[in-house]
Amino acid sequence: MTVLLEDFRRAAAAASCGVRSEADEAAAARWCLDVARGATVAVAPSVAHQAPALFEALLATCHVTVSDSPDAASVVADAAVGVAVGQLAVAETGSVLVLEHDVPDRVVSMLVRHLIVIVAVGDLVASLDAVGEWLADRAGQASFVSLMTGPSRSADIERSLSIGVQGPEEVTVVVLG
Amino acid sequence: MKPWEVRYRDALDDPNVSVGLLAFQRGWRTSRDARIDELERSSGMRFDELREQFATVKRDALADWDGLIDRFTRAAESAGATVVRVSDAAAALDYIGELTARAGTRVVVKGKSMVSEEIGLNAYLEGRGVTPVETDLGEWLLQIAGEHPSHLVMPAIHKRAEQIATLLEQVLGRPFDPRDIDGMVKVVRGELRDRFLTAGMGLSGANALIAEGGTVMLVCNEGNNRMSVALPPVHVVAAGIEKLVPTFSDAIAQVRLLARSATGQTITTYTNFVTGPRPGQEQHILLLDNGRSTMAADPDISAALGCMRCGACANVCPPYQVVGGHAFGHIYTGAIGLVNTPYHHGIEAASGPQSLCVSCGACATVCPSDIPLPDQILEVRRGVATAERDEPASRIRRAGLRAFAHRRVFAVAVAAAAIATAPLRRDGVLRLGPLRSLPGVATRTDWRDAPALPMRPGRRKLRATSPPARLDPQPLAGRNVMLFLQCLADRVSPDVVVATASLLHAMGGRVLVPQAQHCCGLPAFDAGDWDIAGRMAGDLLDTFAGVDDVVTPAPSCLTMLQHHAPRLFRDDPVRLAQARDLHARVFDLVGYLTGPAGLPAGALDDGDRTPVTVHRFCQSSNVLGRSDSTERLLASLCNVEAVPLAEAEVCCGFGGSVSLTAPEVSAGILERKVDNVVASGAHVVISDNPGCLVHLRGGITARGERIEVLHLAEYLARRLPAG
Repeated sequence: MTVLLEDFRRAAAAASCGVRSEADEAAAARWCLDVARGATVAVAPSVAHQAPALFEALLATCHVTVSDSPDAASVVADAAVGVAVGQLAVAETGSVLVLEHDVPDRVVSMLVRHLIVIVAVGDLVASLDAVGEWLADRAGQASFVSLMTGPSRSADIERSLSIGVQGPEEVTVVVLG
Repeated sequence: MKPWEVRYRDALDDPNVSVGLLAFQRGWRTSRDARIDELERSSGMRFDELREQFATVKRDALADWDGLIDRFTRAAESAGATVVRVSDAAAALDYIGELTARAGTRVVVKGKSMVSEEIGLNAYLEGRGVTPVETDLGEWLLQIAGEHPSHLVMPAIHKRAEQIATLLEQVLGRPFDPRDIDGMVKVVRGELRDRFLTAGMGLSGANALIAEGGTVMLVCNEGNNRMSVALPPVHVVAAGIEKLVPTFSDAIAQVRLLARSATGQTITTYTNFVTGPRPGQEQHILLLDNGRSTMAADPDISAALGCMRCGACANVCPPYQVVGGHAFGHIYTGAIGLVNTPYHHGIEAASGPQSLCVSCGACATVCPSDIPLPDQILEVRRGVATAERDEPASRIRRAGLRAFAHRRVFAVAVAAAAIATAPLRRDGVLRLGPLRSLPGVATRTDWRDAPALPMRPGRRKLRATSPPARLDPQPLAGRNVMLFLQCLADRVSPDVVVATASLLHAMGGRVLVPQAQHCCGLPAFDAGDWDIAGRMAGDLLDTFAGVDDVVTPAPSCLTMLQHHAPRLFRDDPVRLAQARDLHARVFDLVGYLTGPAGLPAGALDDGDRTPVTVHRFCQSSNVLGRSDSTERLLASLCNVEAVPLAEAEVCCGFGGSVSLTAPEVSAGILERKVDNVVASGAHVVISDNPGCLVHLRGGITARGERIEVLHLAEYLARRLPAG
């Protein structure tokens, strides 16, 4: 597992994506709030059942907006921090796989400034082949699955790289356990 | 869109294009090669194996196209999507138009979609009072500039930062610093964010349509594409039907190749797998044919449907670097654009762009779908030549080719030209002086001196040359070796012919030079005239009877005889058998010296250590797979370590007939080559292809550089012991 984690860390770093390890959901929640420094934290609604302890800990503070509202997009747009839960973390590419079917889930990973994706250490996989298998296992179900690798970027002008374009400017993957 | 001639002129008149694209191509090459190396290491497979695997997936998909479409449709519809097959652009536009009318759509946000360019969606929507908003930064810049993409992946790569700063200033009314590219890039976040949140429709293309899940795969880096599809109440996918792959595993294979080939990234920031609409959303998936079935039915072209739109073929294309995609393409740009344009937009739309291809073969070496692009471009060229058969320019070209095809007519013409131009000869080239003011002369000679034509062709000069002493050992002892002179070497560079014959003789061969030989037909084949090419190649094949080996100083002819002849004669079983029989017996000099005619290490070391560099003939690298064979020969035979030449295998610009028909493009490519040669610091540049030599020598003397240009045969023959 440590080898996988090291590989993941290296690949993620190459895509300008931060990786940190936290012992549990409570610790992860503390770190998310530290990063926000009092600014808005947008939490994807699906976190509630995917990481309940994290969700509760974030809700317990007064600076958190749960994005489950009819006008979710404008509420979370440019929030300082967004939190989502990933299904897989891929060592081959430093990517995380996030299932975000409903709009309130989608807007968090799309519109916030600093996206934090929480992944259990047991969901680390070696290669993209596992992504193909994960998708094949759920074939036919309506879904919006995002394989994300670092913050948004563009090199459309003279092939000069800019990080943080239309989506998040910063992405950190927190590996739990 | 402007006529091609205007686009071509505009591209030449804008120096930003070639300067910007040169930097782009070089940067891309470095990143792409590093990422492909990484993939080869991690997968334990070579690039050629990986792309062959993916090409097989696409080929098998074509074989079961209807079954795959059914599977995709069933899966997508069970997830809530509506899937429709549309036959052409008009049908696609009608469908989208009805959707916008029914939904009362005012604004459509668009992820990057080449199909939407193919069907002319923006103009159509605007005509119906609907506002299309491009959300990819490059596409958005072009939309506000009133232009079309010049590249499949980097739509605005033909523009430089200064031009973009001016554009933004004009449109947004505030100043921008061209040195602050990051600042310019980040403008889109503010300009477009509200559009995503309020648009009534989002339109995307598809990078793959995965039958197993009814899933649309979409990649992007900025985050715009996923916002376009995820947020608006209606999501429309406009995709070419060829984007189908059977399984998720196939899609992952594509992901591994796509970003590496497109942008030199390991993977794009976002890879989305979208199956059905979200709750409360409509999703319509349009599977566009628009000529794709016709491509699928043509065995010479169908592989082009494997294209994943990475743009790699443009990124290694020398003429593309000079003029960019507005001239080197139509809607689709780069090499793949030359192939698919006739099917989507008509043969006349392909006519101008395809004329710029130098047939260097570089595109095929990087294509992650293993598409034989150079061969397909020649098929298209043949189609263009046929379609334009009765136009005056075609008639003139055909008359010229006919004269050229006739050995004696050609010999007399060259001899007459040699006599006429004799007073202009200086140091192996022509100095035209006041003749430069004649129409069309300066644009063809200012950047490259024309070669001085010899009074005696190679075949006559041979008879007057005494053979050198034999070497010991003699690898060719007892062999009948036919020297195939090559028309250009024979008539323009006779010293190459003599040097090659000397080497063969010194190695013990019995050198035969049949007088009936002329040309392999490559110039006619390259011009799309397969009738004349077939006659010339056929005549030549007849002269090869009864010899052990055929050796030529021209690898270009070897590609014709080994690679093109089987296609040229595919409907002529007798000639085809002749060509196949020849395949294993015909060699260029490098192939011969590294094969049957191997000499011991140091056999031609005369102690001379003048610094040399090697220009690799593009097709030797790209078609024959030679890479550094010439350098290794020099090291082995002469103990000479060649000075590395940057971009050694990139074409010199002589290829095809481009140096005559599009001299500005040829000049641009040659300038890049000569810059690299000068930068190497070598005193001698060696190549093994006579065409490159004439071109390089002309370019080097026109710039006043004092670098000797030699054929490998000349370099080696000078090191033979005196006879």
